[in-house]
Amino acid sequence: MTSGVVMSIEKNDRQLPGLETQIRNKVDRQYVALFNSVTGAIHAALHGQQIGFGSKAVFPRVSQREQKFLTWLGVGIEESTSIPRTYGMASIAWQDAGTTLDAAVAAVSHDKVQVLDFTELGFGPCAAIATNDEQIWKRAERLKIFGAFDLRTMWSQAESEPEIQPTIQFNYRLSPLVAACVRQAIQGNQ
Amino acid sequence: MMQTDFPALPLPWPTDDMAQQELAHLGGNPVIGHGFRKTLFPVITKEDVLQMQISILRNHSNSEAQFTEDYRNYVGAKYAIATASGTSALHLALVGAGVTPGDEVIVPCFTFIATAQAIVAAKGIPVFVDIDPVNYCIDVAAVEAAITPRTRAVMPVHVHGLPANMPALRQLCTKHGLLLVEDASHAHSAAIDGTICGALGDAAGQSLMADKNFPVGGEGGIAFFADEAKYKRARAFLEETGIDYSMSGIVAAFGISQLKRLPYYDAIRQRNAAYLTAELAKTGLFTGPEVPATYVHAYNMYRIALHPAAVGLDDLPIHAVKGAVQELLVAEGVPAREWQNKPIPGHLPFQNRQGFGQGYPFTLSQRDFSEYSLDRFPNALKMLASTLTLCRELRSPVETERIQSYALAFHKVAARPDAIRKLATENTYPLPYERDGRLG
Repeated sequence: MTSGVVMSIEKNDRQLPGLETQIRNKVDRQYVALFNSVTGAIHAALHGQQIGFGSKAVFPRVSQREQKFLTWLGVGIEESTSIPRTYGMASIAWQDAGTTLDAAVAAVSHDKVQVLDFTELGFGPCAAIATNDEQIWKRAERLKIFGAFDLRTMWSQAESEPEIQPTIQFNYRLSPLVAACVRQAIQGNQ
Repeated sequence: MMQTDFPALPLPWPTDDMAQQELAHLGGNPVIGHGFRKTLFPVITKEDVLQMQISILRNHSNSEAQFTEDYRNYVGAKYAIATASGTSALHLALVGAGVTPGDEVIVPCFTFIATAQAIVAAKGIPVFVDIDPVNYCIDVAAVEAAITPRTRAVMPVHVHGLPANMPALRQLCTKHGLLLVEDASHAHSAAIDGTICGALGDAAGQSLMADKNFPVGGEGGIAFFADEAKYKRARAFLEETGIDYSMSGIVAAFGISQLKRLPYYDAIRQRNAAYLTAELAKTGLFTGPEVPATYVHAYNMYRIALHPAAVGLDDLPIHAVKGAVQELLVAEGVPAREWQNKPIPGHLPFQNRQGFGQGYPFTLSQRDFSEYSLDRFPNALKMLASTLTLCRELRSPVETERIQSYALAFHKVAARPDAIRKLATENTYPLPYERDGRLG
């Protein structure tokens, strides 16, 4: 137990990158971003695809909770089964073979953006998005105060890529301590 | 293999003659040698580890509930909601207090970006005003001048842990029928007349990130409310929107055990700050924070003002003196920093004003956003050009020998105006706020 496990935005934090790598290897997607809640991950999945206030997302159906959250964001919902959905979402838990990370990954394997919810593991809210699209990942990280982009640019708000300049930002940053617990859980859950 | 970050060796005991030796920048020995400069924080004890194990064994919401109640009681606030971050706590505080889309919220231009982003999250319009040149908190006269019929709330920030002038702000808010919502993110255990920050306003948000004087396990925050209606409004908002802002149980557990030791840590910081302030006052070049009687400064950070005239350097641009001094201090092993170099309205999210998309909620306002130009905040610009900051360097486990070493380094640098002049004139030091805005 070192300060690197507890402290956030520390150079010696190995937990967040470790969990990202673990998920990346499992989902076979190039880019993974972590969030401190599933609503944070949903917001990032939308923001990454430049879907914000006044835009529309496409789903065959959405949960009541997603509907409430998207309404608050000002994002409209187009119900369709013929167009690929904006993101696929799956939950990981302890209960049975149907709630493992493998099962979750299979459920969203065809989606361009995957939202993976680890909250049911019981360590507190924790979620991730996975994608092969670098721009989606960058914008998703940009949504976080002290996301990967801010950290890489030494916290500078300078921007060499104007299309991903920061807009509204939330602190959706996951605690390394929670990441450490989830890492151990999904190792044993595989 | 067991990982540890425990120091390999203690810092050598400082001696007064160190202040007379050659500057490290010019080849002398630094006051704090390489290998002795890391400040470990937070202190993690067996109690923390045990508390976290307990939280894993029970439902995580129990730890969250216990933490919320323990800390609410400590602060003396009526109601509280623990959150995943300081930003979400500020957002909930604003919504709970009654800020609605399009409302103007008056906020200082000098703060962490989350203060203003939380206003945008609440779909409000941040109206930035200048700071007081002495306490670096929101300027009360500037607040009054910024009030319009659309103003709903004033959001002071207890910058670095020194409470803003809350009695005057309360009077102003009462006079104009405005809400007073604190950003207490730097102000754990800070107080005015015995009332702790977080319990001074109609609502408050506070970061409990592990980089703060009072840390939870990683990222966290808490929102406080002065009455049940505001608390219920915040709860209803979470229900209506489906937003998950909840704090993790294991994160909360770390806070439960840390809270029991907070008075000890507070006492160490007060001792270190008192010592450093007294020593800086002897240097001429430097002074520490001015703390009004009956106020308790939490010293989450410690901002040091430079007075070049005291050492015959007032013919130079003050930001160049600051840049040179910073370089000399860092060479001595003192991590003197800027902590913010640009007022928040100058940062990209407020220059671009994209918000949630398509400019919302800024599009709800008729204001002329050219008011987000930096020249409207002269006190903040002057402060950024003429001050330096210590961050974790006053906190436990900072040892007596370390705080004494910092003081010696300030003495050593202040005694060498010739070296400061040489650096300040030979090097190029751009004005801090002309560089890209940094988050910290």
